[in-house]
Amino acid sequence: MIKIKDVHKSYGDLKVLDGIDLEVNNGEVVCLVGASGSGKSTLLLCVNALEGIDKGEVLVDEISVHDKNTNQNELRKKLGIVFQQFNTFPHLTALNNVSLALKLVLKMSKKESNDLAEEHLIKVGLKEKLNHYPSELSGGQQQRLAIARALAMSPSYLLLDEITSALDPELVGEVLDTLRMLADEGMTMIVVTHEIPFAREVANRVAFFHEGKIHEIGSPKDLISNPKKIRTKEFLSKIL
Amino acid sequence: MNYSFTLNDLLFMSQGALITFVLTISSGIIGTFIGFFIGWARSSSSKIIFYLLGIYIDIIRSVPLILQFVLFNSFMAIAGYPMDPFLSGILTLSVYISGYVAEVILAGINSVPKVTRNSSRGLGMTYLQDFIFIVIPIGFKNIFPSWTGLMLGLMKDTSLIAVMGATPPELLRSSQIIINRVHEPILILLGAGVFYYVMCYLITYLAEKYEEKNHIKSMEIR
Amino acid sequence: MLDYTFQWKVVWKRLPDLFEGAILTLELTILSSIIGLLIASILVIWQKNDNIFLRNFTKTWISIARNTPALLQIYIAYFGLGSFGIHLSSYVAVLGAIAFNNAGYMTEILRGGFSSVSKNQNQAAKGLGLNNFQTYVYVIYPQVLKTVFLPMTNQFIWAMMGTSLGIIIGLQELTGMTTFLQSQTFRPFEFYFIAALIYIFISKSILLSSGFIAKKYLRI
Ligand SMILES: Nc1ncnc2c1ncn2[C@@H]1O[C@H](COP(=O)(O)OP(=O)(O)O)[C@@H](O)[C@H]1O
Ligand SMILES: [Mg+2]
Repeated sequence: MIKIKDVHKSYGDLKVLDGIDLEVNNGEVVCLVGASGSGKSTLLLCVNALEGIDKGEVLVDEISVHDKNTNQNELRKKLGIVFQQFNTFPHLTALNNVSLALKLVLKMSKKESNDLAEEHLIKVGLKEKLNHYPSELSGGQQQRLAIARALAMSPSYLLLDEITSALDPELVGEVLDTLRMLADEGMTMIVVTHEIPFAREVANRVAFFHEGKIHEIGSPKDLISNPKKIRTKEFLSKIL
Repeated sequence: MNYSFTLNDLLFMSQGALITFVLTISSGIIGTFIGFFIGWARSSSSKIIFYLLGIYIDIIRSVPLILQFVLFNSFMAIAGYPMDPFLSGILTLSVYISGYVAEVILAGINSVPKVTRNSSRGLGMTYLQDFIFIVIPIGFKNIFPSWTGLMLGLMKDTSLIAVMGATPPELLRSSQIIINRVHEPILILLGAGVFYYVMCYLITYLAEKYEEKNHIKSMEIR
Repeated sequence: MLDYTFQWKVVWKRLPDLFEGAILTLELTILSSIIGLLIASILVIWQKNDNIFLRNFTKTWISIARNTPALLQIYIAYFGLGSFGIHLSSYVAVLGAIAFNNAGYMTEILRGGFSSVSKNQNQAAKGLGLNNFQTYVYVIYPQVLKTVFLPMTNQFIWAMMGTSLGIIIGLQELTGMTTFLQSQTFRPFEFYFIAALIYIFISKSILLSSGFIAKKYLRI
């Protein structure tokens, strides 16, 4: 379970997170929506300690993420993260992109890690691309590679940051299918997305971000079909 | 004999700096001229010319300047036309820098997108019109920073010619002459360093001002 | 021109001496590049240090190395330091000055290399649980290597050109040795010509092998 309690964060004078409270139960899918710059990405980075916080607390399985006694590398094994810009490693083949952390972090043998990497790449439909470099893959394929890379670590939680936004429209479907499959398997996820139909279908809850705060949160049915607050309505009407 | 550094010595060094400048500008102009035509020839001619001129550039870039200088001098001597070192210095420097300029020019020409050139030709411009009115202005902006860098390198390289005995002495040579009398090597050498530094700085500063004014973005070609 | 007969035999006989000079040239080039690279690896970190002294130190180093002639740097090492009672051999003076110069240029090359790796790569690696050391060794450095490899090769060739300045303070590297030999035999052109060929041969070998490595192992 992930518990985010009254988290505040600023970059210099810029207040980016202004008191975020959110609990994500195991098996739950929570979608974050909101205008660009409202702090969604920053929140994800704070959850797995890629960014520090100024105030508040984040607990993952009751371990305080930003406590200075916490081993953050250890903790990040539980939290897979996938970015909008894929961030695949350009100097490694697809297979090595996935197996690198298996070897270095999970200390698997070469054979074990390669087998597992292959298995995950096949699962996301990249069977033919094992020995290709990212530059030889399409955007959708790169993004699926990034997902496989995160999944191979067997994380308990997935943090997904607008992972379809950089894709051509015809490639969005293949990535969303992968996510549906994960949701069906019961993976716990925090998903930043602008794909409202997807959120409506897959999310257990949807949170609307506005200026560093969760302005409104609820079931997809309530929030998307029946938003209570005016800003939520405005935002949804713009992107739907 | 006077063993201390005098105002005259400072004047002598300034004169040396002036000679450094003259060497740089004259070989810079000649070298850019030669380099321009080599780069152009490489961009537009047959594969054979491309590779032959490539060998010229390779040789220039992989033989030390000082060796090029003595080689040239000894060649002129056996050819029966011994040359004044100052003049042969300018010639060697010009040829030397032309090899680097040619590479930059080629990169500049290639930096002009094919579509741009096609569209100017499509408007009915001749090859030469396209080259003069489209390629040169665009390419010039792209290579200006690299070209300035080459000229700075050239200025530093002029110091080499001096030690081979060219007169009048340029900056480093004149410092050396003073050292022989005054025996204060560190002070005088640092002084010469300041001269070079200021000259380099001045050129860089002017180039940057020019780049700013003309919206030239740094594009490193090396 | 017409009454000059080339005499290559003299050069042929002294070829072992020329090779000796070439080896010294290579030795100085390799050492000055290694030392330069080590210093540059430190300077590139200091360049971004919070400590203003370290930052300015780096800035000064780079701008002196780039804005003054290498020959002046050699003079300062060889003659200038004498004022402080430091008397360097011509070997050490050339090595030190070229390493100093290399360090300045290489710092800039490395800086370019690091800035070409996006900050996101760091986040992606950390996000997978790699620690700082692993992130640098397995993710950042290999990518930096790719961008700096060819510029570094050029810098290496430049260093070789730079060592020829050793002749001016009496070092018998390839250029110095050649000058010494021609003064004994009065056959300057032949000797200088062969020396130039040796330089070309070495440069070309370096460029070809680095091109090969770049293609085969670095996918550049
Ligand atoms: N590393 C950073 N340094 C400074 N400002 C940042 C940094 N990262 C994000 N920001 C700023 O924080 C705000 C929130 O950014 P972000 O969390 O990326 O928003 P979102 O993902 O909702 O679009 C933006 O104004 C952004 O410019
Ligand atoms: Mg974002």
